[in-house]
Amino acid sequence: MMTLSRQQTPSGRRYVLRTFAFMAPYVAICVAMMTTDAFDGVMGKPAGWVLAAAVSAPVIGQIWATLALMRESDEFVRMVTAKQFIIASGMAMAVATFWGFGESFAGAPHLPAWLIYPLFWAAFGLAAPFIRTSN
Amino acid sequence: MRNRLKLLRVERNWTQEQLGQALGVSRQAVNALETEKHDPSLDLAYRIAALFERPIEDIFDNPHV
Repeated sequence: MMTLSRQQTPSGRRYVLRTFAFMAPYVAICVAMMTTDAFDGVMGKPAGWVLAAAVSAPVIGQIWATLALMRESDEFVRMVTAKQFIIASGMAMAVATFWGFGESFAGAPHLPAWLIYPLFWAAFGLAAPFIRTSN
Repeated sequence: MRNRLKLLRVERNWTQEQLGQALGVSRQAVNALETEKHDPSLDLAYRIAALFERPIEDIFDNPHV
């Protein structure tokens, strides 16, 4: 997933460890939600907001991990990482906007908003290998 | 930006890793500089010039002249 072989530097290794640490609880909650009825009991209750906060906290953590990588890296890695995130964010927002308007005006089936995060990473995976320069 | 960084590095028998350590940047950054995929900041250009004890314009072509 990482074009720049981020594991090669100490800051890169820290980034990979932090990413796994934040991704693990996010994926665990999503998989549990999709494959079990473990969270059915919180639907429509205040605990539902606790679940929403629990699954979005790792997303915030991942943003922190990325900013930490940029802070701890040299200028080339910093610029390429920024480009990758900007392009992936733009792609994800464009697709989400397209689909949202499709839902409102073209009868597209509803998709939950939380899919934006997996969509972002899909866009990142598609775009990152082609972003190898800082200029 | 066209430059003579690889030539200067090879003259000293340094690897990209060694040059990166001397400059305080990653090997990827050195490779990106040598292959013109990254234009250095003024700070990094001065560090490179100081390391090789040459003026910046001996190492990097000035694209504006």
